Amino acid sequence: MDVLHNLAFGFEQALTLQNLMFCAIGCTVGTLVGLLPGLGPLATISLLLPLTYSLPTGGALIMLAGIYYGAQYGDSVSAITMKIPHASSIVACIDGYQMTLKGQTGLALFTAGVSSFIGGTVAIVVLSFLAPMLGEVAFLFGPTDYCALMLVGFVCVSFVTTGSLLNGMAMCLIGVLLGQIGTDVTSGTQRFTMDLVFLSDGVGLVSIALGCFGIAEITKNLDNRNERTPFNGKIKLMPTWAEFKRIVPSALRGSVVGSFLGILPGGGPVIAQFAAYAVDRKFSKYKHEIGSGAIEGVAGQAAADEAAARTSFIPLMSIGIPENAVMALMMAAFVIKGIQPGPNMIAGHPDLFWGLVASMWVGNCFLIILNVPLVRYWLSVFKIPYSVLFPSILFFCCIGTFSVNNSLDDIFITAVFGFIGYLFVRLEMDAAPLLLGFILGPMLEENFRRALLIGRGQFTAFFARPISGTLLSLIGVFIVWQVAAFFLKAREATAHS
Amino acid sequence: MNDRNLARGVFLIAVSLAFGLQSLRYPIGQFSHAGPGLFPLMVSSLLLLIGVITVVRSRFEERVGLNFNIRNIALILASLCGFAVISAHLNMIAGIVFLVFCSAFAGTSYSVARNLKVSAGLIAVAFAFHKLLGLNLPLY
Repeated sequence: MDVLHNLAFGFEQALTLQNLMFCAIGCTVGTLVGLLPGLGPLATISLLLPLTYSLPTGGALIMLAGIYYGAQYGDSVSAITMKIPHASSIVACIDGYQMTLKGQTGLALFTAGVSSFIGGTVAIVVLSFLAPMLGEVAFLFGPTDYCALMLVGFVCVSFVTTGSLLNGMAMCLIGVLLGQIGTDVTSGTQRFTMDLVFLSDGVGLVSIALGCFGIAEITKNLDNRNERTPFNGKIKLMPTWAEFKRIVPSALRGSVVGSFLGILPGGGPVIAQFAAYAVDRKFSKYKHEIGSGAIEGVAGQAAADEAAARTSFIPLMSIGIPENAVMALMMAAFVIKGIQPGPNMIAGHPDLFWGLVASMWVGNCFLIILNVPLVRYWLSVFKIPYSVLFPSILFFCCIGTFSVNNSLDDIFITAVFGFIGYLFVRLEMDAAPLLLGFILGPMLEENFRRALLIGRGQFTAFFARPISGTLLSLIGVFIVWQVAAFFLKAREATAHS
Repeated sequence: MNDRNLARGVFLIAVSLAFGLQSLRYPIGQFSHAGPGLFPLMVSSLLLLIGVITVVRSRFEERVGLNFNIRNIALILASLCGFAVISAHLNMIAGIVFLVFCSAFAGTSYSVARNLKVSAGLIAVAFAFHKLLGLNLPLY
């Protein structure tokens, strides 16, 4: 009953006029961002991060969260209507676009909207019950456990986002090294500052995020010279009762899969979608139709997408460890506001935690209004030519960077990271793990040094505790499995040739 | 060096050496009392190892070309730096106009009329940020 009481308290916070407004702004901006190419939730949250200095804490977090889950939905609209996937809507392209080809765009959009609503709702229930419980478990964690947990996060994120453990780990490590720039907290030594005064506080997160995601992405799109064909088709939204009945079971299946996968480190929307799609192909009553434009192919993945986007807040808010790059940025937003996410957060700031949880459901309602009856108006966004869009995005990158410290010099740092980000794009290195490494790096170092101090310099301390021992053994098994798989593949290739 | 995998490995080695060699200049300490140089040294060693593995592996993999278009990234960076310099020495309105006109060269088509419209729109947005959100922009 405690949960119900807390949720009621949360709704009290979320339903104030001010927070409703922030939630609506977040969802609208998120949907817009999801629709536009070349501007994902990562770049947008980093763009708006500086603006949150001047907003009240609760409102700022509600707005940023709204952008994140709003963008998840907006993504699927562009995937369904035009087969333009972003990071998180690859699966929506398969059956969603097939439905568009069959002239069922409206039905596909309706299915995605309703399923997202169902997925979001299930995830919020999971979030309200699980996060406080996990928060209590987190008190048992020592420095070695935190180190091991962060390493698990690195390994999972590396593998999931880039598909190659080696490349992803390399990016994580570069991020950790970038996080070392500045003053060492323990000894006060200036590290890697090249005697430049402005580096003594470290490199700004906003500069890295905007450089690697905003500017690099724009340049990549410009290199590709993709001219989009605007979607001008007419759409009929409302499904028949028979069609509606097909949405619900698939969406519920997707919600469960998504809620579960969202909690795991490295999980999150992308992997959840694929898993939900696979589950539908196995268990759906209409599994033979999936792949050629079936309602289930859209419903399950959309629900999993939204569910995972929300449950991925659980590790951040209960243990204090972000599990993907967007959550790392959310963590930065919490820290800007002087709140350290972690086991103490739920007890120390119940208004923020429960307000955020309740606002997610309010956001769910906003999204369904925005995306079902109003979806036809959103489609006109696709008529904006890229040549108008990209100078505007560049301008917002400049303003975002400038407003952190009111310093024009920071724009040069962003430009440097824009170039580095472009190098990453051309070398096919995904920058998302870098951001996670950058944010977790200082925390990892602190816990690592503390663990060694407690363990008197013995590395066995990491295996002496059950939590860290288990997690590190899992990492070991995973790495051995990856190496074995690589050699097996190489042997097969030589055998073929 | 038109080989993406090899270039990736070389890049990783370069980054790891840049950080690793520098961290040797800080006190390393002992494991029980780690100095400021220990952790970065360990991380950069790990990165160096990954870099070397990547280079070695690239010898056994099929070559993939490195598609590097210097023109667009140069234009974008020039417009960002120009924006910062002009905003610092003249004002941000001129900076915005420069940003739009310079970056538009990277687009598929160039139109002065369109650039003027985009600039006007962005200047209006900048004024809105300045007046409504209280951002301290050096607009004029």
